[in-house]
Amino acid sequence: MSDRPTNVLIVGVGGQGVILVSKVLTEVCQARGLAVKQSEVHGMAKRGGAVFSHVRFGREIWSPTIAQGEADVLLALEWAEGLRWLGHLSRAGTLIADTRRIVPLAACLDRSWGAQPAYPRRSPEDLLAGIANGFAIDATGIAMDLGNARVANTVVLGALSAVLGQPAEDWQPVLARNVPPKTVEVNHAAFARGRAWIESRPEPRPAASPPARQPVGATAPMNGVRLVITESWCKGCDICVKMCPERCLALNGAQVVELSDAGACTGCRVCEWLCPDFAITVDRGGQEPRA
Amino acid sequence: MSVQVRNLQGNEACALGAIAAGCRFYAGYPITPSSEIAERMAEALPKVGGAFVQMEDEIASIAAVLGAEVGGTKAMTATSGPGFSLKQEVLGFAAAAEIPCVVVNVMRGGPSTGMPTRPSQGDMMQARWGTHGDHPVIALAPASVSEVYTQTARAFNLSERFRIPAVVLYDEVIGHLQETVDLRESATLELAERKWARGSPATHLPYAETDDGVPVMSRPGDGHRDHMTGLTHGEDGFPTQNPEAVTRAMDRLLGKLERDRDAIDAVDMLACEDADIVVVACGIVARAARRAVRDLRAEGLAAGLFRPITLWPFPEQAFARAAEAAKIVLVAEMNAGQLRLEVERLCPPGARVVGLGRIDGTPIAPAEIRAKVQELTQDA
Amino acid sequence: MLDGRPFDILDYLRRDLMPHFLCPGCGHGIALRALLWAVHETGIAKDRLAVISGIGCAGRLAAYIDANTFHVPHGRALPFATGLKIARPDLAVVVLTGDGDCLAIGGNHLIHACRRNLDLTCVMLNNEVYGMTGGQVSPTTGAGRLTTTTPQGNREPAFDACGLAEAAGAGLVGRELTLHPPTLKNVIKEGLAHPGFSFIEVMSDCTEIFGRKNEMGSSGEMILSQASAMRPTSYGSRGATAPFHPNAFPTGVLARNERPEYGAHLRAASASDDGHD
Repeated sequence: MSDRPTNVLIVGVGGQGVILVSKVLTEVCQARGLAVKQSEVHGMAKRGGAVFSHVRFGREIWSPTIAQGEADVLLALEWAEGLRWLGHLSRAGTLIADTRRIVPLAACLDRSWGAQPAYPRRSPEDLLAGIANGFAIDATGIAMDLGNARVANTVVLGALSAVLGQPAEDWQPVLARNVPPKTVEVNHAAFARGRAWIESRPEPRPAASPPARQPVGATAPMNGVRLVITESWCKGCDICVKMCPERCLALNGAQVVELSDAGACTGCRVCEWLCPDFAITVDRGGQEPRA
Repeated sequence: MSVQVRNLQGNEACALGAIAAGCRFYAGYPITPSSEIAERMAEALPKVGGAFVQMEDEIASIAAVLGAEVGGTKAMTATSGPGFSLKQEVLGFAAAAEIPCVVVNVMRGGPSTGMPTRPSQGDMMQARWGTHGDHPVIALAPASVSEVYTQTARAFNLSERFRIPAVVLYDEVIGHLQETVDLRESATLELAERKWARGSPATHLPYAETDDGVPVMSRPGDGHRDHMTGLTHGEDGFPTQNPEAVTRAMDRLLGKLERDRDAIDAVDMLACEDADIVVVACGIVARAARRAVRDLRAEGLAAGLFRPITLWPFPEQAFARAAEAAKIVLVAEMNAGQLRLEVERLCPPGARVVGLGRIDGTPIAPAEIRAKVQELTQDA
Repeated sequence: MLDGRPFDILDYLRRDLMPHFLCPGCGHGIALRALLWAVHETGIAKDRLAVISGIGCAGRLAAYIDANTFHVPHGRALPFATGLKIARPDLAVVVLTGDGDCLAIGGNHLIHACRRNLDLTCVMLNNEVYGMTGGQVSPTTGAGRLTTTTPQGNREPAFDACGLAEAAGAGLVGRELTLHPPTLKNVIKEGLAHPGFSFIEVMSDCTEIFGRKNEMGSSGEMILSQASAMRPTSYGSRGATAPFHPNAFPTGVLARNERPEYGAHLRAASASDDGHD
């Protein structure tokens, strides 16, 4: 390794596992006998708060943070956060970004009603065209495929290990001791998938655009009942799915609720009442049941 | 004696000055040596359609005061050092959310429980820097019973006008001093009113920049339905961590007092024009210093007195003029040297700053100041 | 009520701030809907509604309500509301608080607000944990529960907030689950209608932090498990049943205390003194 330190900037929003990724990276580097500095901003554990972590490692490290244009790798667990930090990426640097969209609070700049959240409209293709090495990976999709959307960060971690050109054996034990015992297996699988995703791509190239979300979806009236779903407000918690007496709701591939069995819906409003995110409105066309 | 010319105790004058300034809500917690203010308010407020509440603690008192203030009622609380410490977090909220309020601190010996019945000036710096983070504050330091009356009223005016917490800071001696006060001054007292939002709620921004840097407040019930938070907020009142928005908001907050310092600064000077030695003192110590300066002048020494009535922001310009010709600046105060720090920061390069402190719960006597000046001039 | 229209939560939200910042499945959102629904059915105009909240996850909710909202320092919502209500008896003043805000740092204010009996409605969202700071033990965390500051399990018993409020003399005390929002709404309505201090405890769920740490399943499962443990008995007849535990609690309106309201007393004192100086 050259004397120049390696700079890895990891960004995302609260709850995605930015800290886990940087912790594993830090421990791997320490185990390799390198000097490591890691500084992070977190604390608001709630969803929506931007979280970032600077990891610097090499023979000797002084400054704990990465200056603009100095990051060798920018690891974005969330697309919009990746865009916000792009200025930190060096000219020859590598971007690894999960294409899955979460709207962080800070991105909602336009407060007027009806405005689209000020979410970046640049497609991965546009973006990657201007970057030396860009990987747009649907890590959340891969994680869901493995049955646990929460391991998306580990998919990205696997990709990082491959980009850094380090052997998987150095990473696996560190990963294992940093995740809950029950999830070691799925995390190893996620790590392997992330690594394989990079290794199967000799040249970095753009992934397909993530599907754009409709802000508001309404189902066709059924039994005089119409379900209006504000998709951008749904966080995929599954309360409505669990509580619907008719079992007519489901989460779709994007972890957003949809009416899966429209014929069964009676318009009882349980989903509307229990949705903590106010994402569902039951329109009974003026025919109100007793509450 | 006319009803308007009365023999009053300092703490009593404080209560009357507040009511004259329009205070109609008081929330407090008993603490020596300020309790007479609460007692007087409990008696007087219902008579003018106001309300008095004794709260469960010091923190609740300042929080209730702010609640009344956002409702549109001028409000006050009074305390002493330990209680003032407890209030500091909420005072910071008042500074950040720009809620007017008046807090009286009748200073007693400290630290901790200290000497509850003995005077001190130990909270000079607490008044300035008591709460966390950068924040603006106004603190006034009356030196007589009649000044307690007028400065308490002035604290309300400044607090309303600048939407800032105003602290009235005086020592136990002033608080319990009985003096004759001419309340007719209250007839000439002009009351400042807060700028209330009158325009359309649709275009109102609760923390927007204005000509004088003081934003326009809406009143609950007037249709604006604003949000107020202690989180750093943008012009719309909602939290932001955007560095540009934060800088803009903080620059306005910290700078708003600077836009009209003439309205805020207040000093009292005696014979400073040609003074070689300027004594800086406030509160009861300034009264001893006044006597000392007169005696020293009679002895032929060119002494002067600089008394900040507005303590924070410290009246830098007036002080620079007062100390222009000085060789020595003597800061006399009932603490271990708090105001001296500020004076050292501002003193012209030609002058030496010396402190005369007393922390034994005893006021500084004129003879002590005179002796110190004599000693210093002999040295020089 | 807005021109007799049926309740639509969008009428009461600052919609441009949505989606709100709560974690997926957070019961606080359900409680917020029930509160606004109760406000609607009580017929309180938004202009006349003041919502005061402290710090924490519950504290952030006030910002989403299209009313006069105040987000004040940690624990101080009740005394702030006290000053506001005394200054402005024309406003309906609601305090929205959490278990840490209300029972720990603001605990002293709660007991005295109960004792004083000023016409405030205090809605405390109890999720058994400090969520905003990352999941530390709170005064209502159940015995044995794991949190980031009780890695061996919580050794302190949980506060019975309603028992505390009742003992301190609150005008109305109620507790409800989020499971059936119309019931929760009705209990909050009782609180809003009561001319005195009312304290409503809402059993909320923190799935992402507390639930995950204690392997309590999804939000739906957490809400259902609360329901299966609920004891819908009258509070006063609790008698010699087992000590309070958050997983076994009576719900509904638990106590009423028809004492004189504090604000009316203040106004009467002020009126009788008028013009005597």
